[in-house]
Amino acid sequence: MKISDSRYGTILSIPGLMLLLVWVLIPFSYLFYLSFLRYDNINPVIFSGFANYERVLGDSAFPLILTRTFIFAFGSTGFTVVTSLILAFCLNRIVKGSTFFRSLVIMPWAVPLILSGFLWAWMFHPSFGPISDILMKLKLTSEPLNIYKNPNMAMAGIIIADGWRRIPFLTIITLAGLQSISPELYDAAKVDGADSFHIFGYVSMPLVSRPLLIGTLITLMFSFRSIDVIYSMTPGGGYAKSTYVLGAYLFDYMYEFLNFGVAASASVILIIFTLAIGSVFIYYTLKKR
Amino acid sequence: MKIRRALLKIVDHPATPYVVLSVIALFMIAPFIWMGLSAFKTHAETFRYPPTYFPENPTLKTMSEAWSKAPIPTYIANSLMMCLGATIIIVIAGSFTAYGLSQYRYKGSNMVLGLFLFTRTIPPLALLLPYYLVLMKLHLLNTRISVVLYLIYLSYPLVVWLLKGFFDSFPRELIDSAIVDGCSRTGAIFRIVFPVAATGIYAIAVVAFMWGWNEFFAPFLFIHYDELKPITVGLYYFVGDEYTYWNRMSAAGIYAVIPSLLFFLLAQKYIVKGLTSGALKY
Repeated sequence: MKISDSRYGTILSIPGLMLLLVWVLIPFSYLFYLSFLRYDNINPVIFSGFANYERVLGDSAFPLILTRTFIFAFGSTGFTVVTSLILAFCLNRIVKGSTFFRSLVIMPWAVPLILSGFLWAWMFHPSFGPISDILMKLKLTSEPLNIYKNPNMAMAGIIIADGWRRIPFLTIITLAGLQSISPELYDAAKVDGADSFHIFGYVSMPLVSRPLLIGTLITLMFSFRSIDVIYSMTPGGGYAKSTYVLGAYLFDYMYEFLNFGVAASASVILIIFTLAIGSVFIYYTLKKR
Repeated sequence: MKIRRALLKIVDHPATPYVVLSVIALFMIAPFIWMGLSAFKTHAETFRYPPTYFPENPTLKTMSEAWSKAPIPTYIANSLMMCLGATIIIVIAGSFTAYGLSQYRYKGSNMVLGLFLFTRTIPPLALLLPYYLVLMKLHLLNTRISVVLYLIYLSYPLVVWLLKGFFDSFPRELIDSAIVDGCSRTGAIFRIVFPVAATGIYAIAVVAFMWGWNEFFAPFLFIHYDELKPITVGLYYFVGDEYTYWNRMSAAGIYAVIPSLLFFLLAQKYIVKGLTSGALKY
């Protein structure tokens, strides 16, 4: 018996999908169920309706936490995008030493985020770290720079540590996009009298915008929810809770306060925000050119 | 116009990209340099103010202390076992899924791909709690399998997506001619497609491996026995209540980075290529 081609495709791809769906759907629906329970590991577990959501959304710190989450995610993504674009354009232009520079630039990809947090935490240390010392030696600051006692600088610190680890991925994506542009397009533009700025604006950017956009959305999604750097760099949310984001709030309820119900409803809220970004990502990925 | 011409002169100068790259590259490797130098300092020297840059009495003691004081070899072995196990499962299963989605499209295959991406947009952090409770009910906490299962969820969708793009650019004539020559469709996969696509699959496998190597919170929650922890969690061994053993942490960090860095630098040529033909072909 001959199986049709489309049936064959189904047979090849469905088993993997089923496995994944089971493995995602069970925890996913379980999470929703948990979010409606009073599950604080103290009192007996009972159904409590929207009490957990009311507690999270009614938390007086919640608007601040949400603001910080957005500042962190967009700050880290913005920093990553700008640096990656510059890197990719430079790497695309050079021939000599391109492998050398590319290797240097993508090295942070091999560093776990948690280690990135430790390393930058130490480098930013006001007394024992090199950054404050170098700034003092350059006479840019008269007293040791303590980013941990300044909410804005603490945020900048975690953005640098997070972005540092994300730059390589976006650089490679953008570079791969740039390298797939045909050189004839540049030649044609030059014949028409375009200078480097014209080429950047009318040739390179439009053609690289799609991979760049997808890469940017992935980075945004990742930094929106990752708290590795925050956890290792400014444990507990740092000075005046200046780096306390939604993920950290969720993790505290799960790991420190052991209130699983509230943690679950905070998770659901985090999921809703990420899906907003994620649906844009899916739309652009599946959209035909 | 004058400003534009002056700017153009700077931008078009052949040395400009090298200058810019050198500056950013310095930023990118600065933590590596600091980690590398500190691993050869003594504990006292890391708490000196102002800080020293080059170790005053370079010592190999720190590197050996980190190796022997904490079970670093065990941690690394655990990380390797978990990441390799998960990567092998993900790449083998994902290859078939992606190949089916790419070469034998069926009604709704685009929706299937969308579902895949959807599962990946769910923040893993948000699913940690239900995973913890489900694994507890399955009596899988404190096993390496728990982390492997979690890593499969973490990387499977993106790997399928990358592989699908990669197979999309696979020359269909190669498959068709093999089938005309009497090869079955399944035979063509093993004899033609996988051997030809090996480097691309390898590159994507390395990316999946890196995602696993980077994971911290899942093993942090799922595993409490020291002999089962991966290196990311193991790094916490050097963080004390009173003070942190920065020098030993640096040494341990070097051990943690070396395996993934090796994999990575060996594969980087293929990764750039794999992503060019994979993620970006549309």
